[in-house]
Amino acid sequence: MTWERILDGGAGLFAGPRDFRAAEVYVNLPGADAREASAYLRSEGCRHVAVFAEDRVAEEARDYLYYVFEHREDPRYLLLRASIDPAYAAFPSMAAEVPALNWQEREIQDWFGIEATGHPNPRRVALHDNWPDVHPLRKDFAIDTVLPPFEGEQHIYRPTLGEGVFQIPVGPVHAGIIEPGHFSFAVAGEPILYLQLRMFYVHKGIEKRFEHLSPAHAVFLAESVSGDSGFSHGTAFCQALERIAGVEIPESARWMRTILLELERIYNHTADIGAIATDVGFVIASAHASRLREQVMAVNEALSGSRLLRAVVCPGGIRRAWTRAQLDDALDQLARFAPDFDRLIDLIETSDSTRDRLERTGTLHPDRARDLGIVGVGGRASGNDLDVRRDHPYAAYGKLNVEVPVYREGDVLRRMLVRVDEVRHSLRLIREAAAHMEFAPCRAPLPPLPEDGFGLGVVEGWRGEILYWVRTGPGNRIARCKVKDPSLNNWPAMVEAVKGNIVPDFPVINKSFNLSYSGTDR
Amino acid sequence: MIERFVSVIGQAAMVLLFSPLIAGLGKALKARLQTRRGPGVLQPYRDLYKLLRKGMVIPDTASWIFPLTPFVLFSTTLLAGLLIPAVSAQAPLSLFGGVLAVVYLLALGRFFLALGGLDAGTPFGGLGSSREMTISAIAEPALMLAVFTVALGAGSTNLSSMAKAAVGQSWHFLAPSQMLAFAALFIVLIAETGRIPVDNPATHLELTMIHEAMILEYSGPYLALIEWSAAMKQMVLMTLLINVFFPYGLSADASPLGMTVSILLFAAKLAALASAVVLVETANAKLRLFRVPELLAVAFVLSALALISTFLFGSRG
Repeated sequence: MTWERILDGGAGLFAGPRDFRAAEVYVNLPGADAREASAYLRSEGCRHVAVFAEDRVAEEARDYLYYVFEHREDPRYLLLRASIDPAYAAFPSMAAEVPALNWQEREIQDWFGIEATGHPNPRRVALHDNWPDVHPLRKDFAIDTVLPPFEGEQHIYRPTLGEGVFQIPVGPVHAGIIEPGHFSFAVAGEPILYLQLRMFYVHKGIEKRFEHLSPAHAVFLAESVSGDSGFSHGTAFCQALERIAGVEIPESARWMRTILLELERIYNHTADIGAIATDVGFVIASAHASRLREQVMAVNEALSGSRLLRAVVCPGGIRRAWTRAQLDDALDQLARFAPDFDRLIDLIETSDSTRDRLERTGTLHPDRARDLGIVGVGGRASGNDLDVRRDHPYAAYGKLNVEVPVYREGDVLRRMLVRVDEVRHSLRLIREAAAHMEFAPCRAPLPPLPEDGFGLGVVEGWRGEILYWVRTGPGNRIARCKVKDPSLNNWPAMVEAVKGNIVPDFPVINKSFNLSYSGTDR
Repeated sequence: MIERFVSVIGQAAMVLLFSPLIAGLGKALKARLQTRRGPGVLQPYRDLYKLLRKGMVIPDTASWIFPLTPFVLFSTTLLAGLLIPAVSAQAPLSLFGGVLAVVYLLALGRFFLALGGLDAGTPFGGLGSSREMTISAIAEPALMLAVFTVALGAGSTNLSSMAKAAVGQSWHFLAPSQMLAFAALFIVLIAETGRIPVDNPATHLELTMIHEAMILEYSGPYLALIEWSAAMKQMVLMTLLINVFFPYGLSADASPLGMTVSILLFAAKLAALASAVVLVETANAKLRLFRVPELLAVAFVLSALALISTFLFGSRG
């Protein structure tokens, strides 16, 4: 077993008992400094998935940081727990060595008031300047606190200097129906010198809101973290609860979750392919893509009663069982969708003018993608061979052969091709899963949650890795819920991908990543 | 004198009233090709009516150029529409140099539009103006050369003389100089009217816009004037293309029968040309901005070749 071997190899770095579970391994650090252990784990081929904090001052007079690692050869995740003395409330930053942790460490600073010492860019990220000096995720911050009006210093952007260099501010309010984010371009004529991002305009305090919710209620909150990934988010949250409660979901629910997760992937990827065509002005392809997306939404509705697959997943399985006729009908519709989808792709691929726009546009170099920890579609187009479905199977993926398309060129075209490959592959997975389906009860009862349980749920949503870590409290309530949407990792990739491109190509580069504002800001 | 007056009024009315219909026809056809139902062909009229009744928001930074621009644009475009022969070989008006006046009246309107885009003081307006001027700097020489090719054959830059000379000729479109000049002008038409693959009039993405970026700050009646001018400009350029290269049926006199035939043929030719533009728009993606000059360079080379072949082979092949 990989984790046992790796942990034994670095014995001096870890302290206290180790907790080996079915899907997670918990290991303690002797103090607050994770740098040495992280360096060792990275040298062993592990990847930093996330870092998050937890306020346990009331219970244990400590704050904890959890560094989540994964290794390709072990289906379990490693959670490295660093203990922080609230009197000092600081930890050494690793953002310089592991740029993927940049925003996450700053979130911990903003939300918990635990300082990331030595952070190369310690400005606020999650809380904007109109917040006074408060740390809302601390337990002593009441959720109904009304903050007095506050005017802080302005967020300082890197100045735009140089002869003929101009600044183009775009947003936070954009044309079209998208969410807010501010992009500040420094341009010399049309070419972009650099881009600065400002996110978290729609920070809603979702992680705080989870606390004190009952599990059944909390599922709905998880589903609305990022609207187009509702089912994936809900499933990741339910998996965490099921692990805490020690519930095995019925076999039929595993297959159903697999089918629904793939349907979510198909409808979103199809929409994205159309959106990329829209942004290069290839209107005929985008018209067909929206038609095709609608077909998949109809399948969603026929199977689950919800076009966006809301209120379908529940802790313990799936809310309502399907009949064989329902599933066969869905398979029939998907069988008609497949050749239509192939024709759409053929239309796009044989259009020279489209290919010219997509190829070598918005290139994200594999080195940058690896350093920034880019996950999901954007990562796989730049050589990051990561897929939770294959590496850390959940639902019924362990029984299926999950293929992962990987390209190294990292341009808009490859990000589109990853989606194309995945849609075709998802159609196959759905057929295989349907062949295994048993039409048995699909919901196991969820017993009251233990008073002090904790567990992890990770799902490969269509954007990438979605992570939930939940701790339960007394009275069948959630005490802490960490939500990590793949967009949080991936936004900084935009900064790298647009460098040297021209301004009018920015929208299509942005669309090729199609990141969630809501999921990032929470 | 009366006759001249009638023709001025008639053609002005035609350009004003029918140009939105051509725009609407193009949009409706485009929607059909995308398997959408789309708005009706009369939608541009409804849009203009709506905009004309609305209030306006004028940026605080705007100077006198901002409100002047829509009027300059509207009047120069309408005047250009009076300088070209539409249903009769005789244009209602003739000003210095004929076709040169048309080209530079349109250029004057564009100049003010670019100023108006800058005047609002937003970064998008500046982007649009800079792009528009870059493109027109290459489109204009191509347009001029192509027009000269035809003018050489007619021995005049007066559009009425050119049309009359063309009507009198037998079929000569297959002459290399004419074909090349037509191809060049077709590309210029697409660039000047802001169509895919040069510009996307339907986009909501400010960063990719050219023409739309310049007029982002305009609203209400000013926007109506600008939209109307854009429709008129499209009609003027299409009419120019039609009557210089396919003048058949152009009425040489003002007899009722001749005029009727001429009007019907003119409408059919306009519809055919508008459809061709829509087909190009549907079949292509928008070009990368830095490739647009390449496309226009092609137009320029084509018109240069057209001019050379006029000298080598004569304008009538």
